[in-house]
Amino acid sequence: MRLAASAAVALAIAVTACAPSTTPRTGGGKVTLSVWGWGPEANYDKMFAEYEKANPGVDVDARSFTTATEYDTILSTGLAGDNGPDLAWLRAGANLQPLVEAGRLLPLDAKDVPGLADYDEKVLRYAKGDKDGKVYGVPFAVQTLQVIYNKKIFADNGITPPKTYDEMISSAEKLKAKGIIPFAFGGKDDWMLPVVASIFGTARWGGDAFIASVKAKQKKFADPRFVAGIDQLNKLKPYFPENAAGVSYTDAQILFSSGKAAMFPGGLWELNFFGENAKGVELGVFTPPVPEGQGLMPGFTDGSYGINVKTKHKAEALKFAAWLASKNYGQLFTDTLRVFSAVPGVTPKDPLLGEVSTTFEQHGATYFMNEFAYGNPSSAAVFSKALQEMLLGRLTAEQAAEQLDKSVSTWL
Amino acid sequence: MALGVRRGQGRNRSSYVFLIPAFLLYSAFVVYPLFTGLTYSFFTWKGTLRDSFAGLDNYAGLLSGAFLDQLLPALGHNALLFAGTMLVQNTLGLAFALALSRVRRGKRALQTMFALPYLVNPLVIGYLWTLLLSPAFGPVNALLKPLGLAMPWLGDPGTALPTVVVITTWQWVGFPMLLFSAALGGIPQEYAEAARTDGAGSWQVLRRITLPLLRPAMATVTILSFIGSMGTFALVYALGGSNGAPAGATDVLGLLFYRTAFASGDVNALGTSSALAVFMFTFIFGSTLLLERVLRRKA
Repeated sequence: MRLAASAAVALAIAVTACAPSTTPRTGGGKVTLSVWGWGPEANYDKMFAEYEKANPGVDVDARSFTTATEYDTILSTGLAGDNGPDLAWLRAGANLQPLVEAGRLLPLDAKDVPGLADYDEKVLRYAKGDKDGKVYGVPFAVQTLQVIYNKKIFADNGITPPKTYDEMISSAEKLKAKGIIPFAFGGKDDWMLPVVASIFGTARWGGDAFIASVKAKQKKFADPRFVAGIDQLNKLKPYFPENAAGVSYTDAQILFSSGKAAMFPGGLWELNFFGENAKGVELGVFTPPVPEGQGLMPGFTDGSYGINVKTKHKAEALKFAAWLASKNYGQLFTDTLRVFSAVPGVTPKDPLLGEVSTTFEQHGATYFMNEFAYGNPSSAAVFSKALQEMLLGRLTAEQAAEQLDKSVSTWL
Repeated sequence: MALGVRRGQGRNRSSYVFLIPAFLLYSAFVVYPLFTGLTYSFFTWKGTLRDSFAGLDNYAGLLSGAFLDQLLPALGHNALLFAGTMLVQNTLGLAFALALSRVRRGKRALQTMFALPYLVNPLVIGYLWTLLLSPAFGPVNALLKPLGLAMPWLGDPGTALPTVVVITTWQWVGFPMLLFSAALGGIPQEYAEAARTDGAGSWQVLRRITLPLLRPAMATVTILSFIGSMGTFALVYALGGSNGAPAGATDVLGLLFYRTAFASGDVNALGTSSALAVFMFTFIFGSTLLLERVLRRKA
């Protein structure tokens, strides 16, 4: 009997312990909004505390699932059931569509979330349903792709960020002669290949205009300009680490942070990583020039905040979403996380970010691969593999581009 | 007599009652998921929302050009892994078992040492080996460089799969070794002694007596290796990521399933991946049955 009684008590405790996720109100009549995401939790607690200060009736509970690949499964399961979050980080573009088509998300409009009206269409497009054209999320970050360099190594070797393509090659030659790896790049993790190809090649194939004509089926990727763009990976091979195709992404990061390599072609998110893991290294950024002249800086919308269609606190969630689309949040986001906020008109305090921001405004372009991430197998996966084979010398740049055309033709 | 029979039947009936808990658990956690997986594969999906009945469309999708271009190489790599495992891991396992059967002192300690790596999670092992084999920092290449043998072991499509076989062997060799050791222990000493008395040498004893008597153990090892090689995921994932880097050289069915189900972003990912899962299950189950028939008949 006593055992049964204590079991009952234990069960009651367990049920109460679970309660916050199932019952709407916690002590003091507060509404708890749960938010799921994949970034570090501490940063979000810090930012959301500002909202809680201004809105005493609301408690925002951020929960992070750091394993990025599992996040999609966790979220789609959570949203399908009754214990999902009120708000969640959503993937951008193609990977958002399964949730939209399953009807898991609340469509948003400028009536409820006024900030949405000011977003650049280029940014907002990634938070839309492909079929219905409705907005399903408040975009939070824009990532740019460029070359990050070690200022000290540059100064020690009398090098400045290159203004012309030839200058970039001669600088790389100079570094190589000194035993320093010019570009820390590894092609073993194949998602890095289109990233790096776009850093060096976007201006060569003519950026957004070219992508638009491929989408309109007026041009193909086998176009000589695109082929010349991705062929940059072959051209720069002497300045990559030896056996670049076997070097992993983390190896490349370590080569740069340990000072064995002078430059790292990669995403803006690396600034945060190198800031933490290469404390002594002073960082600079530049957009590599192309033989034709000025280079282009590719960028993409990273993700957005969406609202669970089943949320029990629709009004509160929408109000919170409106805050997430405001300049206040944008500023907080960019200064806390050291990445670009997707909110228009936010100027980052960080000088390096400010520099990137200026370049992106003047010479920004769309990261081509995210536009072609559809199909099963996705064209992005097919092309990443083709680029890997190109780097290994098993395919020519033209053959790699043809494989992309072939894959894109299955869904475009 | 009649009473006895009835009593026996009663005991039988009550023994079924005792099977119920296990049967329920088995049904809930094995039969039911397998069955739902099968039903999922006959529908199109919108994310996690079931859409319309698709008949065999998802299966047709598996055989479509773009998907088949991935499926066949992946299946081929599974088969190569199986061949490699048989050739390297199980041969070595047998050799170790034979060598250990002659060891008098410290046999247990040696057995434990050989079997130790398989207590470690394959993901951890994969991660450790990527560090060891890293072309930029790895100690393996640092040692091989003076000999002119430094290679991007996991970065070259030609060496990647053999490297996977070597690492698999390093991890699992203790398993066939233990099975063979146990089987060797079950062979009476008298057979070998009798043969020696008749003038047989060590090689003849091994070939004519020991190996034929190890056949049942070999059949077991072969079947378990087959299932292991076909279902491999964690190690290749840790070594080459979900795309089976480099250039798909280490792509296997498990990775293909993972990509299709969780990483494609395709709206109908659940339908396609369920069809793939059913195909994998049927293929592995069917081949195992066939293999078992063939091996047992010979044994």
